[in-house]
Amino acid sequence: MQAWSKISKMPAPAIRKMQNEQLTKMLSEDLAVRHPHYRELFKEKNINPADIKGVEDLDKLPFTEKKDIVAPEDNPEHPKKFVLDVPGEDELKPKKKGFSLFGKKDTGPDPSDYSFFTLYFTAGRTDKPVPIEYTHYDLNNLKEAGARAFDILDLSRDDTLINAFTYAPNVYFWQMFYSTIGIGSTALQTGGGKVLGMEKILKAMDSMEAPAMAIAPGYCRFALHTLEHFGFSAENLERIILGIDYTPMEAVDRISKLMEAVGAKENRVQRIYFISEAKSGWAECAPGFGYHTNPDHVLIEIVDPDSGEVKGEGEPGEVVITHLDAKGTTFLRYKTGDIATGGLATEPCPNCKRTVPRIMGDIERKSLYFDLKGKDGTVSFNANELRKVMFAREDVLLWYAEINSGDPEDTLKVVVKGVSGTDEQALQKDLQEKLHDQFSIPVAVELSSLDAVANTIGMEKFITEQTILDKRNS
Amino acid sequence: MENWDKLSKMPYKEIKEMQDRKLRAFIANQIYLYSPYYKERLKEENIDPFKIKGIDDLRHLPFTYKWDIAPTDEEPQKAKDFVIRPDEEVSEKYGHLAKMSMTGGKAMVEEKVFDFKPVHIHFTTGRTALPTPFVYSKRDLENIRESGARLLNVFEVTSDDIVVNCFPFAPHLAFWQTFFAGEKANVAGFHSGGGKIVGTKNLMDAFEYLRPTVAVFIPGYCYYFLREAVKQGRDFSSIKKIFFGGERVPPGLKEKIKELFAQLGAENVMVLATYGMTEAKVAWPECPSHDEYYGYHLYPDMEIFETIDPESGEPVGEGEEGEIVYTALDWRGTAVLRYRTGDIAKGGMFFEPCPNCGRTVPRISSNIQRKSELKEFNMTKVKGTLVNLNNFFPLMMSHPDIEEWQVEMRKRNDDPFDLDEIYLYLAVKEGTDKDKIVGDLKQKVLRDTEVSLTDIIFKSVPEVVSQLGMETELKEKRILDNRPTG
Repeated sequence: MQAWSKISKMPAPAIRKMQNEQLTKMLSEDLAVRHPHYRELFKEKNINPADIKGVEDLDKLPFTEKKDIVAPEDNPEHPKKFVLDVPGEDELKPKKKGFSLFGKKDTGPDPSDYSFFTLYFTAGRTDKPVPIEYTHYDLNNLKEAGARAFDILDLSRDDTLINAFTYAPNVYFWQMFYSTIGIGSTALQTGGGKVLGMEKILKAMDSMEAPAMAIAPGYCRFALHTLEHFGFSAENLERIILGIDYTPMEAVDRISKLMEAVGAKENRVQRIYFISEAKSGWAECAPGFGYHTNPDHVLIEIVDPDSGEVKGEGEPGEVVITHLDAKGTTFLRYKTGDIATGGLATEPCPNCKRTVPRIMGDIERKSLYFDLKGKDGTVSFNANELRKVMFAREDVLLWYAEINSGDPEDTLKVVVKGVSGTDEQALQKDLQEKLHDQFSIPVAVELSSLDAVANTIGMEKFITEQTILDKRNS
Repeated sequence: MENWDKLSKMPYKEIKEMQDRKLRAFIANQIYLYSPYYKERLKEENIDPFKIKGIDDLRHLPFTYKWDIAPTDEEPQKAKDFVIRPDEEVSEKYGHLAKMSMTGGKAMVEEKVFDFKPVHIHFTTGRTALPTPFVYSKRDLENIRESGARLLNVFEVTSDDIVVNCFPFAPHLAFWQTFFAGEKANVAGFHSGGGKIVGTKNLMDAFEYLRPTVAVFIPGYCYYFLREAVKQGRDFSSIKKIFFGGERVPPGLKEKIKELFAQLGAENVMVLATYGMTEAKVAWPECPSHDEYYGYHLYPDMEIFETIDPESGEPVGEGEEGEIVYTALDWRGTAVLRYRTGDIAKGGMFFEPCPNCGRTVPRISSNIQRKSELKEFNMTKVKGTLVNLNNFFPLMMSHPDIEEWQVEMRKRNDDPFDLDEIYLYLAVKEGTDKDKIVGDLKQKVLRDTEVSLTDIIFKSVPEVVSQLGMETELKEKRILDNRPTG
């Protein structure tokens, strides 16, 4: 692992060179020899890892997808096939006697780098949660990634932070925990609404006079709207870090405006994008400038989600990750199912000047692209767009959408609870019109109670709210 | 902080001398200077801090009670006054020094930040008062890590083990003590957050995936979890040890847990107990044994335990029953002196070396009647009788025919002025003779709690599990007081 101060200033060609070296090393020393899945795959597909000289050759390797790693019911240990084997005794080279003029002697791989230390899970939004194993080596990388994210966010130990990311044994919560501990800021690890509930989180924010809070976007909007109801103040709040769930710019704008409305000291909103399989999350220095990745940890490709063809700079596509420096669970060309609407940028960030590759635009979930039955054939429906519309509205407190099968066409039902004081009839009418204009499927907007909507979306029950419900097969 | 290996072999005389020395320094250099509450309190009570020469002088210090520190609506920030922190004047001085020094300034500031700056917070869980925050500085985190490593050392858990932490996630001691223990002792682990966070099925899957050797649980949830696992035919044969926190583990429950593990393929599992309290910021291990109780091993360089007569406040002798009074030693962040825990050590304290493991550190009896989790019900008046509801726990948890249970107190006709009623909801094992168990329990409840049950209502296991909030609450609701107030 290289120093962040160096990497964040490294020109793009130097970063590429570093990644080429890391990739060939990772392939030859780890993936080809001690990775049960890839070792088998290379043999089966007759792939010689030595033919991969660098990033340019990556397309010679197959993708890995979620379905490859999820454990079938009868084989819970299947994900272990993606965990690097611990080096055996026979791989350890005996220490040579004498003095070396040329630095550390090669004594072979260190087994302690490869030994299991902790386990996190993927969020399990689209499939069964997958266990991701971490070794000590990986935890050190996670701590480093957390420290870098805080550097990019410009957080210091003077910033008291409320970590309201939902607790689960996952990378989201733990990266934030290690970041706060590492930097030495005063922090309350709340575990989110599921653990402490909204009132206690807001009370802590108020009584600790915390300037910073890390929280999921939907829950954040709800929190800021209910602040007054609970009688707490946001007068010391300066910034909100949004993460866990996909955070479109519409959510950033809405929350920024809400912060202003509730009398926050400042209304700075920043985003972090976590990928469980990447074993870390990446921060944006300011909204819209892209998620600053760690090029020495993970290689990012943006590919066409269907053909798999690698896209050019700035072109939208699916985020694909390859570990360059990891032990435990590791992946090669893992298709995340996330679409970066602004692709990948490798030129220096115009805002903070850091040179690391950035994932641009919003992140959309591929699983929210639906092919629905229309009157005249298949109709595409991008529910990510619906999320943006709903985030942008200042009169919506909570909502969800149901996709229902119908004849002759599938339909969309959007159920809404307006913010206190809203003319809900007007909200219903306006939303009905706007959604009808934007989406080419029949839309019905219904009003409902706070409790009913909160229960349906699993508020304070799931890691994040489930707002898009595909009911066609139920 | 002392070396544990050395400390656990130190003769008690030397331990006491060390505690005297540490107490003197702690009171004079930290508490008196930097604890706003005690600074004020000592002045108010005209106590000269420099006259506290050691443990024997502790009695000159006033007791601290829960209500002294718990926030109230009128004083929500009360707990902050118990946080050891240099006041602004002192900080200014250090800041000035830092600026002045060309060489050591930065290091000095870092040292002060390490010592005093709060970085981590736990809350108490009591339902009688608002949750009270207890803060840790980075220095304190080293203490909680070290205490965790000691706990694992006593339990003979090593870096060859894999621990699954099933304590519910919350900003509470139990979960975090287990996490920091693993971190310090280099023991691999899965910190699940419990059934509420990951779900019981996923937790079972994790057991089978990881093949852990050690599991850490709250007793009530563990019993439920294992029964479900048996029903599903799971394989937990890798488990060698299990340790509990939160409640005392009665012998009957130990046996039930061992039996269930045996059905899951794990023979002769060692059932271990811990005793901890938010106010002390650490937890202590019970000396491991299959069938004897040797008490909890304390950390004499981190705290002083006294056992006192709860009425008179006078210390009781070695091995005599008394209330546990806790005094922090060499902590930063929140620190309390002579804190009245309300917990009763039935067998008192011991200072001679442990007959089981030979460690010389002081021990507190395994038989502790905990007040902290149930204090609001501890001595509740039901039907005009002062009822010790703690006694339901060993009785119900140890009963071989009971699967799940819950006690509910009501008022007849829901009228606050009418008679008290006490109902017991029971889910029993298949084939249990219900008439027999009713007779048996009515008699035993009367004997142990001095109150007669209004009725025993039989329900299915899922019904009682749901009433308990087993997978939705941080801690299951064993005793409900649904009596309306007049």
